[in-house]
Amino acid sequence: MSTVPKETIEVIAQSIGITNLSPDVAFALAPDLEYRIREIMQESIKCMRHSKRTILTADDVDSALALRNLEPIYGFTSNDPLRFKRAAGHKDLFYIDDKDVEFKDLIEAPLPKAPLDTSITSHWLAIEGVQPAIPENAPVEAPTEIRKSSEYKEDGIPVDIKLPVKHVITKELQLYFDKITELVLNKPASIPFRRALISLATDMGLHPLVPYFSRFVADEVAQNLHNLTLLFALMRLVRSILQNPHIHIELYLHQLMPPIITCVVAKRIGNRLSDNHWELRNFSVNLVASICKRFGNVYHNLQPRVTKTFLHAFLDPTKALPQHYGAIKGIAALGSRLVRLFILPNLEPYLLLLEPEMQPEKQRNETKRQEAWQVYGALLCAVGQCMHERAKIFSNLLSPSTRASSRPNGKAMIAMSSKRKASTENLMQQQQPPLKKLATDGPGGVVPMNSMSVDMQMQGSAGAFSTMMGVPNVGVSSMARQISNDNTMGREVGGQQSKVSSILAQAWKDDIDAGQLLSSVYELFGESLLSFIPKAEAGVFL
Amino acid sequence: MEEDEIAGYVTAYLKKKGFTQTEKIFQEEFQTNKTNSSPLEPDIAKHILSFSQLESGPARFHDGYSRLRSWTHCSLDLYKHELLRVLYPVFIHCFMDLVAKGHVQEARHFFNTFREDHEMMHLRDLQKLEGVLSPTHLEEMEFAHSLRQSKFNIKICEYSYELLLQHLHSTQSTTILGIINEHINFQVTPGQPSSIVDDPEAVTLSGSSQDAANQINQKEIHWGLLEDSLEERLEKASSLLSDSEKGEGEAKEGETEENKKRPVEGGKQGASIKKVKKDKGGSATGKNTKAEVNTVSAAPRVKPELPMPIIPTEVEQSILEDLRNRVQLSSVALPSVSFYTFLNTHNGLSCSSISHDGSLVAGGFSDSSLKVWDMAKLGEQTASSLSQDENDTSQNPQMGQSGGGKRQYTLFQGHSGPVYAASFSPVGEFILSSSADSTIRLWSTTYNANLVCYKGHNYPVWDVQFSPVGHYFASSSHDRTARIWSMERIQPLRIMAGHLSDVDCVQWHANCNYIATGSSDKTVRLWDVQSGECVRVFVGHRSMILSLAMSPDGRYMASGDEDGTIMMWDLSSGRCLTPLIGHTSCVWSLAFSCEGSVLASGSADCSVKLWDVNTSTKVSRAEEKSGNASRLRSLKTLPTKSTPVYALRFSRRNLLFAAGALAKNG
Repeated sequence: MSTVPKETIEVIAQSIGITNLSPDVAFALAPDLEYRIREIMQESIKCMRHSKRTILTADDVDSALALRNLEPIYGFTSNDPLRFKRAAGHKDLFYIDDKDVEFKDLIEAPLPKAPLDTSITSHWLAIEGVQPAIPENAPVEAPTEIRKSSEYKEDGIPVDIKLPVKHVITKELQLYFDKITELVLNKPASIPFRRALISLATDMGLHPLVPYFSRFVADEVAQNLHNLTLLFALMRLVRSILQNPHIHIELYLHQLMPPIITCVVAKRIGNRLSDNHWELRNFSVNLVASICKRFGNVYHNLQPRVTKTFLHAFLDPTKALPQHYGAIKGIAALGSRLVRLFILPNLEPYLLLLEPEMQPEKQRNETKRQEAWQVYGALLCAVGQCMHERAKIFSNLLSPSTRASSRPNGKAMIAMSSKRKASTENLMQQQQPPLKKLATDGPGGVVPMNSMSVDMQMQGSAGAFSTMMGVPNVGVSSMARQISNDNTMGREVGGQQSKVSSILAQAWKDDIDAGQLLSSVYELFGESLLSFIPKAEAGVFL
Repeated sequence: MEEDEIAGYVTAYLKKKGFTQTEKIFQEEFQTNKTNSSPLEPDIAKHILSFSQLESGPARFHDGYSRLRSWTHCSLDLYKHELLRVLYPVFIHCFMDLVAKGHVQEARHFFNTFREDHEMMHLRDLQKLEGVLSPTHLEEMEFAHSLRQSKFNIKICEYSYELLLQHLHSTQSTTILGIINEHINFQVTPGQPSSIVDDPEAVTLSGSSQDAANQINQKEIHWGLLEDSLEERLEKASSLLSDSEKGEGEAKEGETEENKKRPVEGGKQGASIKKVKKDKGGSATGKNTKAEVNTVSAAPRVKPELPMPIIPTEVEQSILEDLRNRVQLSSVALPSVSFYTFLNTHNGLSCSSISHDGSLVAGGFSDSSLKVWDMAKLGEQTASSLSQDENDTSQNPQMGQSGGGKRQYTLFQGHSGPVYAASFSPVGEFILSSSADSTIRLWSTTYNANLVCYKGHNYPVWDVQFSPVGHYFASSSHDRTARIWSMERIQPLRIMAGHLSDVDCVQWHANCNYIATGSSDKTVRLWDVQSGECVRVFVGHRSMILSLAMSPDGRYMASGDEDGTIMMWDLSSGRCLTPLIGHTSCVWSLAFSCEGSVLASGSADCSVKLWDVNTSTKVSRAEEKSGNASRLRSLKTLPTKSTPVYALRFSRRNLLFAAGALAKNG
């Protein structure tokens, strides 16, 4: 009946030496105990309110006990609220982590830093009702958690940031800079770092630090290519600075771009094989893309220069595969037009180069093979995206057409249509025109169908492949064989047709492969590719 | 058939009532007299039967309440909200009845089953009641006690009332009917049910005290400004330039006269309100009438009931200078806000206060210390700090070791418990501080020393406030009293008792004749300083009141509570003009601008809000008749950077000062 179970009373009784407490007594005491606790809590809340706090501390409970002429509970006094931990396995059971402290350690420990003395700073919260944009004021319309700025974090340095004077960096900003760089270098995964990123992305008055930050990033990237976590932290720092609406980053782009691009197309990033440098490359690519998008119209040579860098990396067969990966990703992120201009024409020769790397018979090195697959994936992605864009562009220009297929494969189509029919009906409509366009380009419009011959096989293995993408295992080899079969078939067909069409055919085929293989990863992409088969054609097969 | 059954009922009844002896005798007699039984009347038998059924233990409360509840929820939409009001009192009385009868288990079950219904409106009451688990607790607990003794007033329309009674009669819920009869006082109004808008007066929680409150609120109150105030003199001075010096001279004369009379007049002057009224009528000198003609503000003037202290000439000059330079604020001309941020307080700052000119800032700490910063010095202290501080320390033995001469503040030590409030005298030469050690201390900022320790309260003193003219001050305490003191006596002059719980905050009326107190019993009271009587009770807040402010024209009062609600009251009618909703956490501080057009509120939700007072009061009065409670217009929200706002002060020039401690962990 009471929320205090009578077992609690018994335990308390035992703790003060009463072992033979009768159950009746416990039963009667339990509700009274609850009432007394509530009473004390009510008083403690009053004390808390009058101390102008909204968090109850042990002090409040002590004052409440004092009000009732009771002895305070010793050992919990702290100016900070107690940190409760949740007991594992219990939803609402909490405890205070009370570690044993060795007396010796306590004595030998150096004296802690004296706490800083209380001080007051003043600033204008508003001038005639308008809040000035100074660092002391909360950023306008910022989410609440951002208000906990990192400037005042850690050991509570009395920071008073003045509006900066040209080329003079205040002591406070210097402290801020030191703090942030220290966090980047030492604790890139910690919560303070995350807060620091938020602060960088929102705080006003950081502008004088930007040249220092860009310098810092450039130096650190150059020196620490082996340290993946650090690079990642640096890139996140860059992203935060880019996000900050109060900073004019344009002036420092020339300094910032090289390190970012390095992170995209560096030959070797990270020390161990297990380091996931692909992720860093993707992240940096996004940064590059966003910079180009934002400042491309202001700096006309920005994007061409970036593109040139990527293209060099892509077309140079001596470069390592990760570099190619970065370059392809980079070009793809800059827009489908660039993919069409630079990747599609080079697709066939490139695939010829890439293919042996992907086959277990020819490339014994597991790592290399995996890299090749990554590059292949990036390529698929880029090409597919490009095709998708084009499909959208042309969907309104051309009308659907019917054509006979030279190599129909009914089986595959049935499986296909029964699966996808309903969902892709209208998508099909949309996707039809590009094919028509294709047909006008050359006689290779039929090509997509040939890959359908392996449709059934592929579907069976698609699921397996997607799981294998991340973690290489024995399954890869069997997969690779299938793919290579597929590739050779594609090339056979391509050989019968003109050069242009064979390139496109390759692209188409790859797209469809991708649609099948990566369906789980690129859901939208996959579906749109699957529906590349015109409805009219499907009708013929059926 | 009958006899056995009847006998069964009777035994059951006796058993239930615990009449074991009687039961035994009854059994025996029944056995012997089985043959010559006297035939009981069948309806009596039925009655007994139904009675024993009715008494079938605690379940009847549960059943009765749940039946009433489901009926209410199914009732007509038009009358539903009125009927819903009935549920809460029935609920808590069912619960308390159960507890009183000792069915603790059932009481708890009942409480938990239905508490959700009332959590939104009455969460705090429920939290208090929840712990009541034995009849003794009921006796002991103030809140439960007052609930048991008083009646709920519920406004309800005729038809709803009939509906309710019909339902209760038709369902034979005598238990519930009993509770309703016993504890609810229906104020049946003819005609249509009241609008659905949540009218705070529809259900009054304080029970019988409401009657008292209504009665109290009938009393006359003189909310006008003090005659012959500095403001008035300034207006005079500007309008009648030629007369100004003469007028001021007269004023000073008047004051000195008053001052001479003070010791004699202590208890005599202004013994009753009526006398004051007469005084006002009689003593309206030529000077005063002149002033009344020329005043811009229409506020009536009243005589002070207390002997007023003299203001030194130079201070008066500086105040007049300030008044001349005052910025006019309105909804379109918002104030500038200067914010003082306390750093490195380690969660220890429990109050802060700003002097009237904003140059001194005091902070009371939970380590019993009071620290005062001179902001004017702080600015120029960079270079010459060392010599300055050494001078300070040599003057002040209480300052203790100055940490390498670098300390920026003056440390006042003397209290032996957390300092809960601090207040500057109008001129700034004195500070009062109140503490958990149940004392109030007076400090001098010129000598940096403790002057007086006022002992009188028995429990922590939550708040202390200097009167607008200085010299007098009011304090409020956990001992449920507020007290009026003068600086020169160590005993209180008046003790105001009447609140049902802690008196959490206190504020002086602009004319010094009244003080307002806010309490944990969720009411605000206005007291006559001279007579010590309660002259107004303001009911409407839903939680503990934390801050109060009086408008400079003396007509309105604002109060802020724990939930973030601010209420604006009309002192003369005792009614709430409008609740100001916007803050999401405790309102620590409220301040009216000097001409009363803007109200500033500082809250634990890290923001200062500015409210337009003029529209709120006018609009609400206009809409009062239409029955639509208007919301006060919020002019501006100024968020701080994770700094709860502890104190606010409009300087005489209408610059707003705010203070707060930076909260590290938000």
